[in-house]
Formats: sequence, C-alpha cells, structure tokens
Amino acid sequence: MKQEIHFVTGKGGVGKSVIAAALALKKSKEGKKVLLVELGDQSFFKDFLDLPEVGYQPTAIAPNLSVALWTGEACLQEYARHFIKVESLAKLFFENAVMKAFINVAPALPELAIMGKVTSGPRKHGPALPFDCLVVDAFATGHFIALLEAPKGMAQAVQFGPMGEQSRSIDACIRNKDLTSYHIVTLPEELPVKEATELFQRLKAEFEISADLIMNKVIATDLPLASLKEAQEEGSDLGKFAAYIEHQLEHQRAILEKAKQVPSDLQTVPLYFETNAWPLIQKIAEVLR
Amino acid sequence: MSSTLFQDTKVLICVGSGGVGKTTVAASLAVLAAKEGRRVLVLTIDPAKRLAQTLGIEGSKDITKVPGQNFAGELYASVIDHKKTFDDFVARAARKAESAEKIYKNRLYQQLSTNLSGSQEFTALEKLYSCYESGEFDLIILDTPPTKHAIDFLHAPQKLSALFNEGVAKWFRDPEGKKSGFFGQLLQTGTRQVLKILESLTGSTFIHELGDFFINIEQCQEQLLKRTVDVHRLLVAPSTQFCLVTSFDQAKLKEAEYFSREIKKGGYHLTTVVLNRVFPYWLDLRSEDKSQKGHAGLVSLYSQMRSYYNQRDLIYQQFEANIRKEARVFRIPDLVKDISDLRGLEELSGLIAEGEKKA
Repeated sequence: MKQEIHFVTGKGGVGKSVIAAALALKKSKEGKKVLLVELGDQSFFKDFLDLPEVGYQPTAIAPNLSVALWTGEACLQEYARHFIKVESLAKLFFENAVMKAFINVAPALPELAIMGKVTSGPRKHGPALPFDCLVVDAFATGHFIALLEAPKGMAQAVQFGPMGEQSRSIDACIRNKDLTSYHIVTLPEELPVKEATELFQRLKAEFEISADLIMNKVIATDLPLASLKEAQEEGSDLGKFAAYIEHQLEHQRAILEKAKQVPSDLQTVPLYFETNAWPLIQKIAEVLR
Repeated sequence: MSSTLFQDTKVLICVGSGGVGKTTVAASLAVLAAKEGRRVLVLTIDPAKRLAQTLGIEGSKDITKVPGQNFAGELYASVIDHKKTFDDFVARAARKAESAEKIYKNRLYQQLSTNLSGSQEFTALEKLYSCYESGEFDLIILDTPPTKHAIDFLHAPQKLSALFNEGVAKWFRDPEGKKSGFFGQLLQTGTRQVLKILESLTGSTFIHELGDFFINIEQCQEQLLKRTVDVHRLLVAPSTQFCLVTSFDQAKLKEAEYFSREIKKGGYHLTTVVLNRVFPYWLDLRSEDKSQKGHAGLVSLYSQMRSYYNQRDLIYQQFEANIRKEARVFRIPDLVKDISDLRGLEELSGLIAEGEKKA
C-alpha cells in the first residue's frame, strides 16, 4: 500500500491543529482512508471536537477519518510487543519500573519511536497501519526539529545493528518527497513568519526538504482603502474599527510580502468568524489546496 | 497603583502553552514590579527580536540591566542559554573534570542538552535556582519554555531526574568488566532478560553508547537529587507564585481549568491568571449595535467580528466564574501592535495594574 504522510508544524498558537484537522478532512473527502495523529500525552481534539476519548488506537470521527494520540512510550511498547511476541516477556520488559522511567527520558528514544511508527507503513516494518494517509499534528518548531533529527542523530551514534538500520530507513523515508510532505502553518504576524522562514530554511539545509507555508487567519476583504479612511472620521466605534482594519490590512500586506520571499509554495487561509469546531474545520478544508 | 501586587513574592513563574504571549506578559509584570521599587530579574527563553532589543538582551546571554529605565526599582533581564546551563551543571556535579569531558562528548548527551523534550524545563529551573541562590534580586520572574500544554512544565523535571536514577546506571555497569561479558554482573535475571530484549531490538552498539551515557552521568546523580529537592522546595514555597498565561479559545480555557486543578494538587500556588489578547481594543461589547449608513461592507465585517467576540465573551464569563475562586484574573486586550520599546511594555503593565484595581 502506498501511504502518504503529512507533517503539520509551526509556532505555538498559529492554529496548527485546526489546519491539520482540515487537511485530514479534505483528504478523507477525496476518498482516502485518513488517520489524524496527535503527538503528546493529552489530546487537543478531545476537547476541541468534544469526543468521548482519544487514545492510541484510532477513533473514527467522520467517514474515512479517524484520530489517534501517540506518545513515544506507546509507540515503543507496540513496536516491542510486535517483535517480542511472547506476552510474558513483553510484560516483564515494560512493567519494570526502571524501564518505564528510561523509555520516557532516554535521549531521542521517544522521538525515534514516534518517527518509526509514523513511517512504519512505507517501510513495511512493524505492526500494520491500515490507512492511505497520515496527517500528523506535530510538535511546534523547536521540538519538531528534534523529532526529525532523532533518526539522523541515532544513525550517527549507532552505526551498526538493528537500531542503526531502522534509524537510517526512517531518515530516508522522511526525506522522500514522494512519501512525505511538510506544511508550516503561520499567521500574518511578524514572529510566526520569522519562525516559519527559519524552519523552512533549516529543513532545506539539513534534510533537503521543501516545506510549504500555510498562512492562517488572513483577513479577507476587498474594502477600498478610501472608504476605511472616510469611516475613521466618524469617531464612533465603527471609526475605531476602521482604523483597526486599516492597520491590520497594511500590516498583513507587509508580512505577506515578506513571506513571499521565501522560496516556498505559499497559500492563505482566511480568518473565519466561526466559534464552532466542525463548521470551522469544514470551511478551511474547502479552501485548502 | 496597588503596591500589594506580588509584594510577598520572591519568584513568579509564568506558565502557559505555546503562542499565548508568555514572554511579553512576563516582561510587563517585571516592569510593574520594578515600578513598585523592587530589584527584579526576568529570565526569558526565546524572546521576539524587538522584545529582546527592548530588554537590551539581543545577542547576549548575560544578565543585563534593561537600558533606558527610570523606575523606583531596577529591572534586569536575561535569555537562558540551555546548552551552557546544562554544561555548567554537569561541570559542577561531575566529580572530576575529565568525567565532565566524557559526558560532553557522548552523542546522546549532545542531543539531550539541546532541544529534546524536558531538557529546557530542567535548565530553566536550574537557572532560576542559581539566580535565586545568589540573593541578588528581590523578585525573579521566569518565562517558561513553550510546551503543548501548560502542565508539561511541571512534569518535565521529574521525567528528567529519572534519567539520573541510580537503578538505570546499575544495569549497564560491569565493575569487573571481563567476567562474563557486558551483562555479567547483573544480579536479577529479570533485568538481564529485559536488557537482552532491548539489545535484540536495538543492537549492541546502541546499548553500549547508552550504557556509557548512563554510567558517566550517574556521578551527577547525588547533586541532581539534591538540586531536585531544593528546586521543588522553592517551587512550593509560599513566596513562589505561578501565573498562568492563556489565550482565548475554548480548548485553551478548558486546559487552564485543568491546569489550575492540577497545580493545586501539586501544592503549588497559582495566584494569577492572565487572559492575553482577549478582545481587540476597538471593541466595546456593551455598545449598542447601531446601523451606520454609507459603509455597508465595513458594517458587515464589523458586525461579524462583533458577534464572534460576543460568543467568545459568553465562554469567557463561564470560565471566569469558575477560576475566580482560585486566582485573580486579568484580561488584556489585543493591542494589535508589536511591542517595540520599554514604553510599550509599560503600557501593557499599566493595563494589568488597571485590571487589578477593578478586580
């Protein structure tokens, strides 16, 4: 099975998770069987979509669309159980107190386990993952780099044996353009664009990865500047609002210019005044390319 | 301005998930305290360029007196250098200089001391403690590393200290070194089996590199344990307060409620909740919806935004009713512009102080 993998990252607070969900929904509507993957100990989508539970095993949330929450420990457990096969040995392995502590903190091991699981389909290694498409709502910028570097770092530290081999194959997989895509979410604000630009350049330099940029929450209006100026003279609430919009639009234009200088595919997602989760995700899914 | 804000506080820790404006809020609170006449240090993690310029700490990792200030007290700032803080800790904790060198050279240590999960939290607390110990400041305000969830900050140090656990190194140690190979000296057959499984999954080079790491780092264990106890004592002291910074959406507010419950269970003192960038400054939710002639497009956009924020206000009021029992709540409007000088920080701190008066 050919499985595509999408990583969605960006600075904290830019709306990564919502964009990831929208991308997953869009792919599922194209007829693919999609798994939306959250990383970490706690689920965002549980609260956001008001789901009863989100755990390691996929939960269906829409036709062709499931969500799962993966931690390094759970990925490692599943992987080890797959190969150990003898349940009593697996139990011994994981229920050892020291092993528990160790799995959580051994440098790069949780990150490596996650990346191993994410790429297990194309590498045909480990337990089966019956989905056509994985959309990973990944860590924010700094920790995302650590996630990508884990296989490379491990392959350098450990040249021989299964660990080295697996690490090299994961690393090759995340650099393979035909399998894996990267989406950096940003906002029309200075800091998120700066961080997105730096991340884009780092991915290019270190992994030869070409990420695309998704600028979220762009105010979409064709109000002429003159009418904004005119409205400001009224001195009412609307006048203040007009000043606000003018400032925002101007700022937005400047930031957009800056973002366009990044040699990346850039798309914008409008700011929707929608407080409900599903309608918001659906609207964004419709405009995503 | 109230002079009781953070009066008996020696340490103030700003926590919150990524992208909520923690650093800016931390700096504004520091300005507020400096205005009240205190000698205050703000420790930041990754300030925006303009904020770093404003604080005079761009390109420097040293503790710097913020330029251009005219406060009753004094304001200092610093960016935490994670690698250096980690290395310094190892240098102090390792018994011999050559062992510290060995640790620095271990590839797994190199990964650990950069940006893996948990290590920034450790260095933030390490830096906080050493500044606190120096006794040079009346108040230290700590901005915390960006985490997915606010609570991650409190869990990280425990995870990391497990790394230095004696038990782990014991697995890998082989005092005689030759008797019966690498795992020869292990006492428990159960543990030996566990390591064998690990070896079959990962390969012997990995096990050796890992063993090297744990055995070298083990000698730091005593110091780390002591430090962990000291830091924990500082974190639960009544003079250490937590300030939760959060942005405004339903999931974030739910998380804030969860966090306030968890933090209480842990014996920490959450005294302040800052809701950042709640409403744009132009918005007066109480004003009546007047129809304005001649600006149809603008009016439509205005009413869309207004009804959006009105809906959010309902969510907010619910949240406030719940959290008020635990902590004081400040809401800061979205000033829309980036803060580019000390005056901008003062403006923001003024808004916080004003919110305090109202509360």
